[in-house]
Amino acid sequence: MRTVEFDAVVVGTGPAGSASALVAAKKGLKVLVIERGPEPGSKTVSGAMIRIDEVGKVFGTDIPIERQVKRFKVIIANGGDRVNLDFPVSGLGTVGRRKFDAWMSSKAEAAGAVVITKTSVTGIKRTEGGIKVLTDRGEISTGRVVLAEGANPILSMSLRIRDDLTPEDAVQTAKEVYSMPQTEVTKRMGLSADTDGEVWRVIYVNKTFGAGFLYTYKDAIAIGAGAPMKSMIEKKYQPNVMIEDFKEDLGLKQLLSGTSLREYSAKIIPESGFPYCKAGIDNVYLAGDAIGLVNPLTFDGIGPAIASGVIAGNAVAEGWDPRKYEEALKYDPLIKSVISSRKLVKQLLSTGEKYVTLLPEIMKRWASGDLYGIRELVSENAWTILKDLTLLMQVRK
Amino acid sequence: MDNFKGPHPFNAGEKMKLEEKLYTLRYKRDEEPHLIIKNQETCKRCTEKYGVPEPCLAVCPANVYNYTEGKMVVAYENCVECGACRIACPFDNIIWKYPRYGLGIALRYG
Repeated sequence: MRTVEFDAVVVGTGPAGSASALVAAKKGLKVLVIERGPEPGSKTVSGAMIRIDEVGKVFGTDIPIERQVKRFKVIIANGGDRVNLDFPVSGLGTVGRRKFDAWMSSKAEAAGAVVITKTSVTGIKRTEGGIKVLTDRGEISTGRVVLAEGANPILSMSLRIRDDLTPEDAVQTAKEVYSMPQTEVTKRMGLSADTDGEVWRVIYVNKTFGAGFLYTYKDAIAIGAGAPMKSMIEKKYQPNVMIEDFKEDLGLKQLLSGTSLREYSAKIIPESGFPYCKAGIDNVYLAGDAIGLVNPLTFDGIGPAIASGVIAGNAVAEGWDPRKYEEALKYDPLIKSVISSRKLVKQLLSTGEKYVTLLPEIMKRWASGDLYGIRELVSENAWTILKDLTLLMQVRK
Repeated sequence: MDNFKGPHPFNAGEKMKLEEKLYTLRYKRDEEPHLIIKNQETCKRCTEKYGVPEPCLAVCPANVYNYTEGKMVVAYENCVECGACRIACPFDNIIWKYPRYGLGIALRYG
């Protein structure tokens, strides 16, 4: 077997991997990025929406945005009872992960990193001189490693840096992309320009408590739904059925009628991780989804992933002690927001359903002038609300 | 409006079958399975304990698992590589590896 040498090896070309490769390469390191897919982005799934400044400040402003998000819709749906909120937003854009990840990876390459695809890392071994990264195509000798391997972190687990996820702390999602001409997206969504986009965020109850989304791409509409894995197992509710129900509940079948399904995909969302697991061991640093850095309350995974990747890039370049790396992660505002809301998220996975029934009911009673009814509803649920509010108070930035 | 109907036009009236959804995906099959059942006896016990669909079937978006005639059959070539089955398996009975050489699923949108 051939052995090649690099100062640092990054596993994965997602946002965390490319950010760390970019930073480390800019600092003068010889960096190799290994991607298991045929191209960057061929194995990654997101909604996907980005905060333009979070991405721009690291990778540059020529982001391949699908549409600028101009309108944001929040829907709380309990069967036919709905609460809809609809407001203008700025600074948000939709992206397709294939194009977006390829763009981020090209930025790391431009900074000097070497990116190889179609290569799966099969193991990591410590040697006297450093670390050996084992792949299906040969071995690489290196001093430091970033594991940005995503939500299914089998390498990190094999190194015992973190435990496996459990059905209690994972959400399973399914996604569908429907293609149509650009003007048709604009027309069907009632947008005023072909570059404008709309995003829906849905919290709903069907067979389980779940969350859903709609994103507008240039020439497609992407929808998706997710539910806690534990309840899907208990209710024997399959992802494919869940997304069919979601389309029906939200009236999406009418919206998408006559268009063509171009892609069906799925992704698990980790609801736990750092700081309940380690983020590194000597000269090995974990970033992004691999340590659960996705914010389920803001639906933002790309932002925290990039933030952790930047820190990992610095850690790799300067050979930080893993404890220093973990402290730096905790100090970052985006990551702090994720980890300080872990307890709240855990609680909401079980109490969320209550709010989906509660909010439309409060609005209905308000509409009929029944203020005493609202008081009754709130007092019946006071304990839950109070507990969740206490956890909300722990959220930091 | 009909001019952009692709090979999988969406009919508002019906539920779309999973097989039709999987047809939209590009796969390259790795001859070596990346999903392996450790012990078939364990799957048998699981079916008795949890009923149908078993936990791995309940969370799988791509009908990879199928328990028939006392055997768990794994259609790993349908796998969309989400990783849910391994987490869902109550007996830690699934070995999950990454497909080799860039094989497996290749998404267009992601």
